[in-house]
Amino acid sequence: MIDPSQEAANRQLIQRIAAGDQQAFSALYDRLSGPLFSLAMQMLGDEAEAEDALQEVSLQIWRRAATYDAERSKVFSWAVMMTRSKAIDRLRARGRRQRIVAGSTDEEEGTRDYASDAENASDTSVRNDDAVRVRSALRTLPNEQRQAIEMAFFNDMTHAEIAEQNSEPLGTVKARIRRGLMRLRDGLQ
Amino acid sequence: MMTEAQQEQAALYALDLMSAQEAAAFEHELSAHAELQALVRELRDAAAAMALAVPRSVLPSEGLKSRVMDQIAEEAARNEPVNIIRPPRSVFSVVVPWAIAAAFILFCGVLALDRAKLADQLAAEQSAKEDHLAQERSTSEQRLAQERAMFETRLAQERKTFDQRLALENAKMEKRLADERAARAASLPMLIALAPAEGAPAKAQAVVAFDPSTQTGTIKISNLPAAAAGKDYQLWAVDAAHKDPISAGVVRVDANGVAQVQFKPTEAAREVKAFAISLERQGGVPKKEGPILLVGTV
Repeated sequence: MIDPSQEAANRQLIQRIAAGDQQAFSALYDRLSGPLFSLAMQMLGDEAEAEDALQEVSLQIWRRAATYDAERSKVFSWAVMMTRSKAIDRLRARGRRQRIVAGSTDEEEGTRDYASDAENASDTSVRNDDAVRVRSALRTLPNEQRQAIEMAFFNDMTHAEIAEQNSEPLGTVKARIRRGLMRLRDGLQ
Repeated sequence: MMTEAQQEQAALYALDLMSAQEAAAFEHELSAHAELQALVRELRDAAAAMALAVPRSVLPSEGLKSRVMDQIAEEAARNEPVNIIRPPRSVFSVVVPWAIAAAFILFCGVLALDRAKLADQLAAEQSAKEDHLAQERSTSEQRLAQERAMFETRLAQERKTFDQRLALENAKMEKRLADERAARAASLPMLIALAPAEGAPAKAQAVVAFDPSTQTGTIKISNLPAAAAGKDYQLWAVDAAHKDPISAGVVRVDANGVAQVQFKPTEAAREVKAFAISLERQGGVPKKEGPILLVGTV
């Protein structure tokens, strides 16, 4: 997904899907469903709900493939953001956000488990490489920067909520998000 | 060139942390700033890449993919034009459809007749139902009107009774208030200046201090020449509850025309209106006889 050749392949698939090619959709599903499902699981903490969210996102990709704008984001990023948005909708609708947030803070923020670089056997080596690269890039971030962007991305917390939870000034949190995200970008390039 | 504030906004936007209003304002800025657009894209890709860092211990079920594929196949089928393959036509294939069509028309005719009959039946039932409903509504309205009239009559009566009782209570209350006010005023200590009456020594004056609660008082007189032989000055309390002034005793002045005497009226003076000094026979009289020399009203 970070690999340019992978992204090029994703774009070709999206173009074919936009033309109604179900085989292309099947191929893209095989490429993206793993990370998208893991993200939904991470955010929702429930397998059935994560599957529902992935099903909705998959149908959205099929229906909106023609509107995908390569100038705005990668195919992978587009799909991830849709998945995140679906998961957030579910969290908000079911009033479970507090519980998930509380649960995540209990496990000590900033210590999210990236220790295992070895993936499930079902992952391809490319996906494994990508995961390793992202994890090592995240590990280079100072704890407070990594914590801030993770809370925002995975826990659907606004910068104001992060500032309140950590009892820190809003400006500090904003700056951490900016620095952390830019540093992550640099680390992935 | 990009400012830190713009970078910060780009980061917040990439993570969907902006409110709808903030996002709209930023998108406006973004539309004219190619460098900023590129940064947003890079930051969004970096944020999305975090999904790859999530450990993948569980995979979606195989059944999910089948369900999704079935759904998109169904959607695709709905959107695609239907290709109809027609078999070669024969005489038989021409006649039979016409016969079926004729039979179908006949059948439709029978159905139409039946439908008309049913429609009439339904209309009659509907009409009867409506009449019944109208009658029930009329009865209900009449009953409602009667109950309403009864209620209004009772309400008017109760209101009248209440108004009368209220007026009575008000009158009682006002009287009690007036009585209390008068009693309070009457019970307060009073200070009255007495001035000369017509024909009295012009410089003579007196001041009375009287406490109704104890029925005692003090009078101080000045510039009043001593009474002629066989005569005395007598103090009177003019009270609303008594027909005649109440005697408060004889007052004798010294050679300088001065006197300061404590007094107590012979009867209770609860509603004092004035004090007066008259010239009476020596030793005083029970009922005023002589001329008034000094007088002062409350």
